[in-house]
Amino acid sequence: MPAPIRVLTAVPICDGHDSAINTINLEFIRHGVEVVYLGYHRSVGDIVRAAIQEDVRAIGISSYNGGHSEFFGAVVDLLRKKGADDIKVFGGGGGTITHDDAAMMKRKGVDEIFFAGTSLEEMVEFVHQHYGKARRKRARPKSPDQELAHKLTDIEDRAANLTALSARVSKAGSTRTDPAAVRTKSPRAARVIGFTGPGGAGKTTLIDELVLRFLNKNRQSRLAILSHDPSVVGRGALLGDRATMINSQNDRVFMRSMATRGQAGGLSPATHDCLALLARSGFDYVIIETVGTGQEAMPFQKNGIVDLTVLVMNPDYGSRLQLQKIVMLDLADVVVVNKSDLQRARTAHTEIEQRLEQNRRDQQLIDTVAKRHRDPGVDRLFDLILGGRDGALQRQSGSDRPRTSQRDVPTKKRRKR
Amino acid sequence: MSKLGQVVEAVEKYNKFVLDQVRRARTDEPFGRDLLGRWNDIKAKIPITRAPTGLPLPRLALPEIDEPGEIARYLFGEGLPGEFPFLNGAYREMYLEPIREVESFEKNGESKEKKTGKKIPQVEEPTRLFSGLMLAEDTNERFHYLTRHQRTHRLSTAFDGPTLYGIDSDADGVFGKIGEGGVAIDTVEDMMRLYDGFDLGSPNFSASMTISGPAPIIMAMYIAAAKRRFGPKVVPRLRGTIQADIFKEVQAQNETIFPIEPSLRFLTDMVEFTTREMPRWYPISISGYHIGEAGSTPVQQAAYTLSNGFAYAEMFVTRGIPVDQFGPRLSFFLDCGLDVEYIALARVSRRIWAIGMRDVFGAGPKAQLYKLHTQTSGRSLIAAEFKNNLTRTAAELMLAYMNATNSCHSNSADEPFTTPSEEWIRLAAHGQAILLEESGIFKHTMNMLSGSPGMKAVERAVEAAILDEFREIERIGGVLAAVEERYQRSQIQNAAHKYEQQIYDGTRPIIALNKYRNGSDDIPEVKLARTPRKKQQLQVDRLAKFKKKNADKAKRALDKLAAIVERGENCFPALLEAVEVCSLGQITGRLQDVVGRFRPMV
Ligand code: B12
Ligand SMILES: Nc1nc2c(ncn2[C@@H]2O[C@H](COP(=O)(O)OP(=O)(O)OP(=O)(O)O)[C@@H](O)[C@H]2O)c(=O)[nH]1
Ligand SMILES: [Mg+2]
Repeated sequence: MPAPIRVLTAVPICDGHDSAINTINLEFIRHGVEVVYLGYHRSVGDIVRAAIQEDVRAIGISSYNGGHSEFFGAVVDLLRKKGADDIKVFGGGGGTITHDDAAMMKRKGVDEIFFAGTSLEEMVEFVHQHYGKARRKRARPKSPDQELAHKLTDIEDRAANLTALSARVSKAGSTRTDPAAVRTKSPRAARVIGFTGPGGAGKTTLIDELVLRFLNKNRQSRLAILSHDPSVVGRGALLGDRATMINSQNDRVFMRSMATRGQAGGLSPATHDCLALLARSGFDYVIIETVGTGQEAMPFQKNGIVDLTVLVMNPDYGSRLQLQKIVMLDLADVVVVNKSDLQRARTAHTEIEQRLEQNRRDQQLIDTVAKRHRDPGVDRLFDLILGGRDGALQRQSGSDRPRTSQRDVPTKKRRKR
Repeated sequence: MSKLGQVVEAVEKYNKFVLDQVRRARTDEPFGRDLLGRWNDIKAKIPITRAPTGLPLPRLALPEIDEPGEIARYLFGEGLPGEFPFLNGAYREMYLEPIREVESFEKNGESKEKKTGKKIPQVEEPTRLFSGLMLAEDTNERFHYLTRHQRTHRLSTAFDGPTLYGIDSDADGVFGKIGEGGVAIDTVEDMMRLYDGFDLGSPNFSASMTISGPAPIIMAMYIAAAKRRFGPKVVPRLRGTIQADIFKEVQAQNETIFPIEPSLRFLTDMVEFTTREMPRWYPISISGYHIGEAGSTPVQQAAYTLSNGFAYAEMFVTRGIPVDQFGPRLSFFLDCGLDVEYIALARVSRRIWAIGMRDVFGAGPKAQLYKLHTQTSGRSLIAAEFKNNLTRTAAELMLAYMNATNSCHSNSADEPFTTPSEEWIRLAAHGQAILLEESGIFKHTMNMLSGSPGMKAVERAVEAAILDEFREIERIGGVLAAVEERYQRSQIQNAAHKYEQQIYDGTRPIIALNKYRNGSDDIPEVKLARTPRKKQQLQVDRLAKFKKKNADKAKRALDKLAAIVERGENCFPALLEAVEVCSLGQITGRLQDVVGRFRPMV
C-alpha cells in the first residue's frame, strides 16, 4: 500500500475564515489524506517553511479576506526560490476568488482554484488524482533542512511499504527498516528528549513553551521536534500541532508531524529511523512527542535513542490506584504534573510523589502550568532538561554520545521577563 | 454549580411557576377573577389604529382567550411586549408607526414606556451602515457620504486585518492587507481622522466598532481621540458600541490576540471603566452572528451566545460591578438564516436571558432586556445565480422582524464576492424599509404574527435544546472550561461539516446550486475596492513618523502599562495614557510580553 498523501493546509495572514478549511480538512482525512494543518492568520514564510520541513505534496490555501492573487503568488515564488517547487499549491476562497483571478493565479503557477459551490467530493478526487502518484526523481535539495525533509519522507515511505508487506507476510513481524541505511555521518549527536503521557495532558503546549525559552536563551542553536498524531492504516490524519505551537514556527526549529499509521504504543513505524536521522542532523536537541498514551504504554523503551524521558501527567487521572498501573511512572526520568492550576493538582503531586518513592530511583517531579505565560514551573523544567550546561539532567544519561555544541550557551541564565 | 447551571434551574423553576399559576387561575377563584379583570383592562386600553385602507386594527393583538388559566399562561409565560419575560418583544411598540388615528385611548400610565419603546426611528432608513475601507480619511469620506441625508449619525466601523489582529501596518508580511476589508488604524491620530467632522458628543451621534481582540486598546484610542477634539468633558457623553466579545472570538471568529484569561481581564478592565465613566456606551456586543456564520446550528448559536453572556455577567459581578449598572449596557447580536429555528430563536433567547438575569443575578427590569441587533445570514448567500440572494435576505428579514429584533442589518446580494457595492447595499436596505414601512405587516399591530401554533412548537423545541446545551456546558465545568476544552469550537465545526455534506448529498436543497440549477452562473460586476499601494505606503510612513516622534514617551508609557498589568490592577487608565504616544502594535506587543500570545485552537 502506498504511503498516504500528505498535504499542508492554512489560511493566510490576517484572515480567520477557517470554516471552509476545517470542513475540507475533515473531508480529506476521511478519504485517506494526512493533513498537516497550520491554522489561520499565517504568513507566507511560515507556510513555506512548514511545507518544506513536512515535505508535503501540496499546500492547500483557503483565502477569504482578499489579496489572494498576491498571497498565492508569493507562496509559489518562495517555494521556487527555496528549490521546493515540487510542492504544489491549490486552494479556494468561495466567491471572493473570481474566474479571472483564478486564471491569473494559475498563470503564476497555482495548480487549481476551487470556486464556491464545488462539492467536497471533487476536491478529494483532485487531490488523489494529482498528488497521489509517487514523486518522480527529485531535484537536489537546496538546503540542509530540505535534504533532511526528503530523507524523512523516504524513511516514512519505506516504512509504509514494509508495513504493507509485513501485514501480508506475518501479522506480528517487525516493521523496522535498517536505520544504518539512512544515517548521515554527522559527528554531532543531539540530545533526544521524549515526551509522553495521557491525551490532553499538555505535552504539546509544554514543548512549545520550552521551545520559546530555548529560542530566547540561545541565539544560534537549533532543535528539532518530531510530533505524533494517531491514525489507522490506510486512513488519513489531522496533524494539527503546528497550529497551536506558535513559538515553534521558527527557522531555528525543524518540526515534523507524523501519523502513527496504525501502530499501537504512541509512535509510528518510521519513528525510530526518523529519530536516528534527526539525532545526527546537527540539532542540539531533538524533542519527540508521542500521541496520548494509555497506562501500559512505554513508547521509548526499546528505542534506545531517547536520552531522557518526560512523562506529562494530568492531575485528573482518577484514583490513586490508577497510578499503580502507569508503567511510565517507573521508567520516566522526569514526571511533570501539568495543569497544576487545577484543583486536584496538590493531591496529584502528593500521590505521584509517593508512587515515585517506591521506585527508589532518582526521578524528578515538577509541577507546571504550561498554559500560563512565563510559568516558573516550566522555567524549572527548562533548566532541568534543556537549560544547557547547568541543566541538572544534562550529563546524567546518554553521556556516551558526543555532547552537542554548547559553546553558544551562556552560563548565566537569561530568563525572559 | 456555575451561574449557568443556576440559569437552567431558574428557567425550569419559572416554567413550573407558570404552570402553577395556570392551575391556580383555574382553581383559586378570586385569583382567576383578578386575572380576568386585568386581562379585560389590558384589552380595553389597546388603542385602535387604521390602515391606509381604512381598516381598523388594534395596536396590540392578543390571543382570543377568556379563560383564566390560559390568560395566566400568556401573561406569565410570554408576557405582553415590553413585559417580563419579554418573549414577544423587549419594548411595547417596536416597529409601530406613530399613532395616526386613535379611536379609544385611555391614559394608562405607560406613556413613558411608549416613548422609550420607539427604538426604530421612522424618518430614516432603519439601517446601520457598516463600512470601512483604505485609510481613515477614506472611510471618513464614506461616512459623510452615507450620512448626508440623515439626521442621526450612526456609524458602524469595519477594521482591516492588521487592526483586527492588533498589529501595526508596518508588521512583517501585512503590507498588502493594509486598508483591505476595513479601515487601517494604527494610532490615535488615525482615529481622529476617522471620525473627523462628526460631533462625537452629540446625542445624535453614535459610533459602533466591530473589533474584539484588541478592543480595549481601540476603545482607549477612541476616547483619546474624542478628548483631543472636544476636551475631557466629552467622555461621559460618548455613545456607541464596541464588540469586544472574546468568547465568540475563541469559538468562531479567530481574532483573539492574548490568552483567554488576560483577554477577559482586559475586557473587564474596560467594562469597569465604561460603566462608570461612559454611561451611554455599550462596551460589549455579545455575538452569536459569527458562531452562526462559522457554521453552527441555530440552537448552538443561541445557546453559546446566551451562555457567553451569562459568563460575562458572572465575571463582571465578580469584579464588583453592580448588575444594574452593566446589565443595561449589554447588547446582543444574532444571525438570522433560513432554518426553521429562526422563527423563534431570538424570542426564546430574550426570555431565557430575562429569567436568568432576574432570578439568578437579581437584575432589575432594565438589566433584564436582551437588546438585539440581527444580521441576516451571509453564509446563506451563495455565488450561483446570486440574485436569488435578494429573496433569501428578504425571507430572513421577515423572520428577524417576527422575532422583534431591535435593529437589523440586511446583507447585500453580492455578499459572496466582495465588499458589497452601493447598488446592492441600497437594495438590501430597501428590503428592510419595504417590510417595515411599505408593507402593513409590522407597522400597525404589535404581535401581528406572534404565537402561531407552529411558532409555539418551535419555541418549545428550541428552548429545550438550548437548556440541554447549557447542561452540557455545565457538565464540562462552565463556559470558560468548555471554551478551553474547545467544546464549542468542535461542535460548531462538526455542524459546519455536516451542513456542507448535506448540501452535496442533497438533503439540504439550495436553489440553483443543487436544485433547479441551469448552469449559467452570472456574476455581479465585482468592483474590487483595492487599496492602492501608494496609500498603503502612506499609512506605513505616517506610522513611522508617529513612532519616531514619540519614541521616548512611548517607552515610558509602555513600561508603566506593563508594570500595572504585572501588578494586576485595572489597566484601562494606563491604556488611555499609552495610546497618546504608542501605536496599536506597540501596545499589543508589550502586553503580549507580559501575558503571552493567544495559542490558537484547531
Ligand atoms: C462565514 C463568513 C465569516 C465568518 C467566519 C467564520 C469562520 N470561522 O470561518 C465571520 C462572521 C466570523 C466572518 C468575519 C469576517 N468576514 Co467574512 N464571510 C463569511 C462568508 C459569509 C462565508 C464564507 C464561508 O465560510 N463559506 C462556506 C464555505 C464552505 O463555502 P465557500 O466559501 O463557497 O467555499 C467553497 C470553495 O471555495 C472551496 N474552498 C474554500 N477554501 C478552500 C481551500 C482549499 C484548499 C480547497 C481545496 C477548497 C476551498 O470549498 C468550499 C466548498 O465548496 C463570506 C461571504 C460568502 N457568502 O461567501 C464572508 C466574507 C468572506 N467575509 C468578509 C469579511 C470582510 C469579513 C471580515 C473582515 C469583516 C470585518 N471587517 O469584521 C471579518 C474577518 C474575520 C476574520 N477573522 O478574518 C468578506 C470578504 C471581502 C473580500 N474578500 O473582498 C466576505 C466575502 C463578505 C463580504 N462580501 O463582505 N466572516
Ligand atoms: N488548565 C490548564 N490547561 C492546560 C495547561 N496546559 C495545557 N492545557 C490545555 O490542555 C489542552 C491540551 O493541551 P495539549 O498541549 O494539546 O495536550 P497534549 O498532551 O499535547 O494532547 P494530545 O497530544 O492530544 O495528547 C489544551 O486545551 C491546553 O490549553 C495547564 O497548565 N493548565
Ligand atoms: Mg499533543
